[in-house]
Amino acid sequence: MTSGVVFDVREFTLHDGPGIRTTVFLKGCPLACTWCHNPEGLDPVPQIMRSSTGARAVGRRYEAVELAELLSGQARILADNEGGVTFSGGEPLAQASFVAEVIDLLPATHIVLDTSGFGGKDAFMALARRADLVFFDLKIVDPVAHLRWTGQDNAPILRNLALLEQLGRPFVARVPLVPGVTDTNENLTAIASLVASNRMLVRVELLPYNRAAGGKYASCGKTFAPGFDEDRAPNADLDPFERAGIEVRVA
Amino acid sequence: MNERISGLRARTRSGAYRAYRLPPAQDLTAECDAHGLSWPARMARLTRRQCEAERVVIGPDERIVFTRTVPTVPAVWTRDQQDRLAAGRTFHEGGLINNICADWGMALSQGLEGRRRVALASLERANAAGDAEAIEFLGAAIETVDAVLELAARYAAEARRLGMDDVADVLDHVPARPARTFHEALQSLRLLQAVVWLSGHHHVGLGRLDQYLWPYLAADLEAGRLDEGGAEELLAEFYIALNRDSDCYPGIQQGDNGQTVTLGGMTPDGRDGVNPLTWIALRVARDVGLIDPKINLRIGADTDLALLELASELTRRGLGFPQYANDDVVIPALEAHGYAPEDARDYTVAACWEFIIPGRGMDVVNIGAVSFPHAADTAIRAGLAGDWSFDAILERTAAEIRGQVHERVEPFERLLWAPAPYYSVLMTDALETGRDHGSGARYRNLGIHGAAAAGAADALAAVQRHVFEIGDISRRELLAALDANFVGQEVLRRKLAEESPRVGLHEARADELLRKLYDWFADACESERTPSGGIVRPGTGSAMYYLWLARGRADGPLAEPVVGATADGRHEGDPFGANLAPTPGTSLRGPISVLQSYAAIDYRRVCNGGPITMELSDSVFRDAESIRKVALLVRTFARLGCQQLQINALNAATLLDAKAHPEQHRDLIVRVWGWSGYFCELAPEYQDHVVARHLHAGL
Repeated sequence: MTSGVVFDVREFTLHDGPGIRTTVFLKGCPLACTWCHNPEGLDPVPQIMRSSTGARAVGRRYEAVELAELLSGQARILADNEGGVTFSGGEPLAQASFVAEVIDLLPATHIVLDTSGFGGKDAFMALARRADLVFFDLKIVDPVAHLRWTGQDNAPILRNLALLEQLGRPFVARVPLVPGVTDTNENLTAIASLVASNRMLVRVELLPYNRAAGGKYASCGKTFAPGFDEDRAPNADLDPFERAGIEVRVA
Repeated sequence: MNERISGLRARTRSGAYRAYRLPPAQDLTAECDAHGLSWPARMARLTRRQCEAERVVIGPDERIVFTRTVPTVPAVWTRDQQDRLAAGRTFHEGGLINNICADWGMALSQGLEGRRRVALASLERANAAGDAEAIEFLGAAIETVDAVLELAARYAAEARRLGMDDVADVLDHVPARPARTFHEALQSLRLLQAVVWLSGHHHVGLGRLDQYLWPYLAADLEAGRLDEGGAEELLAEFYIALNRDSDCYPGIQQGDNGQTVTLGGMTPDGRDGVNPLTWIALRVARDVGLIDPKINLRIGADTDLALLELASELTRRGLGFPQYANDDVVIPALEAHGYAPEDARDYTVAACWEFIIPGRGMDVVNIGAVSFPHAADTAIRAGLAGDWSFDAILERTAAEIRGQVHERVEPFERLLWAPAPYYSVLMTDALETGRDHGSGARYRNLGIHGAAAAGAADALAAVQRHVFEIGDISRRELLAALDANFVGQEVLRRKLAEESPRVGLHEARADELLRKLYDWFADACESERTPSGGIVRPGTGSAMYYLWLARGRADGPLAEPVVGATADGRHEGDPFGANLAPTPGTSLRGPISVLQSYAAIDYRRVCNGGPITMELSDSVFRDAESIRKVALLVRTFARLGCQQLQINALNAATLLDAKAHPEQHRDLIVRVWGWSGYFCELAPEYQDHVVARHLHAGL
């Protein structure tokens, strides 16, 4: 019996996969992207968020069976509506055995794994194998820049990306467009060539940077220091992808 | 919308037609007294004088005419006379029959001359039988028919004079004779309905428009007289016309006028009634984007998803409608309450949400509310003080509900309606039987709403959890905290509010209590009967009671009891959820659990209507894929066996901006409780409630 920490369970999440879905946000992420818009998802333990409207507990520990029961209660409705359950975060790979146990306890349900791709090979294999569709974030291809902006090396991410082909799991590559950081022509071109040959690629989605990202940092007792020009419009350039024959859209 | 329609819409929104308004109508009391007129004769005289007073107004680009110029409805009795008439009786909402739906299909297909012939035949029988009541009623009804015909003739003559021969030709034929085309049917409907308003009735519903108008449109399409585009243009003009005089309609706030339309659903003989006009009527409402008519859409578990997608585009537009009713649930519930199958299948939605029968219903669908929170709170406080078991608290809650139902019903045992000769002309059986619709209609039941059930279920669930199961709050402690409105008791209050089962989270304990509340409510209603044999229909709406039951009513007396702080951790004065909505402040996961919670209610027992009310952020509706998901959500509502659903697409920031800069948001429409209105035309306190509700309940 495993337990895990979840910072939110949201229903009718429209942009987390096909059909009507419920998304489980797992708490804790090994990356520290300076643009992260879910800072309450970073720490792996429950915490108190304080704001002008008062204090609020964020995150609670679930037994796998308890979370599975909650989700099972909706599984039929989700399946009936072309949807299912999405595991997002935070980073689901960081609580892979918990997530795997929850999935195994569910009736047949369409599963989306929404991941940064950063995690051990076994963890990734365990969850990707159980997923029907993977939302795989691709941020920066250059390892030095990746380390600088996310605090981690991207080697495990690139390795796990390659594993998807081996596992035969379809994936959507999701690229956050952070002004001057991820949206440069050379990075977008590098991402395009990285995924172009992967036969499991469904499409690429570009996610323009959301200016609201910094809003929650103070409530979490953190400082928002993006390190880039937030006011610059992101470069939503579809061209590198279209030239590579890849289906691409701006989400 | 073409240029003509855009122009009509713009002039209607700007209030340009008000320039034609006449001074207030002249009091008719003296005239009626001088002639010693009976009450039915006075009401007929009222309709006649109102028609005569109307000044004919035809704009150069109109094809469906009638613009109201008489702004008010005069009295036919002095205040003293009326008080004597109503002494010891309940004179509901001014005493004129209201919030019902005429048999428009019948009226269009017979024409007023046809109705006149029916009245004359009945009059002959009544004369032979010496039935004085029928003789008087039928004479009055015929007088109103003639008044409307004269008004139509004046419009026809003016159209002819202006050289608008197509309009004049239509008016030469209708409303006197049966409509032959879609254009004639809409023109006839416009005049027939406008005179109901002019006669002083309110909440004048338009019923199943796509059902009764489709035969006319189908014939036009078949004959090649009209194409779909032409039909849309005519219907758009008709919709716009419904918005032209609405400031003259009585209502609590402008917009609360009950000018509803019900589309789709089953036909009386049990077939799927969705037809091409259902789609056209939705498309036109989306494109015209005005608050009238308010659209209800009847659906079921297997309704075409594309129709629900079209409907969701109306929601996206922020119109606050359509409101959905689930045929799979509503029809069996009406049948279980004594409605004949063919009538139950023919239901339409009243001003807000109640299910009524066109032409045959004279139900008083909203006689007031039962405060579930007050019933539960009274029982909880007595139980805490008296060391009762939890079951004893539940029993007392049921008894309190019974008491409140009886208090609300009792005055309606002495209900008195003013005669309604003109409205009766448009009803299914009134002329045929020689009885006014108010006293002779087939269905004369009462409807009552059980309000703020989530608040009561949450309070009971919190007591059950913390006092009886875990025991981490003592009876004395809780009672003291309630009495103190939780001042200095924030830790205890949060325990009640945040660590208890709540409605909206699909938690068995809370949902079970929710179901029980409505079962007890239905039991209580079943024990009541009106003197004429009517039943009492329990419903799930709240209207403004979600506030009044918490704060009292500033603008008048309130029969229902007001409750203080409650055991769900709610402070005194904090509002409850509107209709079927979780208590504001509940940490919801989203709409699926909300629907699952509300699926717990046994809707076969609560047939009076009252929607699950959801606010979705307008960002939900950003693309076609999202629209499709909203449509799937609506279908889920039906498949879970819930009864009625109303979705509002709103953005709290937009509302706040509209409050600050009304001039930039003149067309912003919001759903208030059972009706839609222009946000900037609402009184400030109503605006604040809408904003607060959206901030709380945004899913």
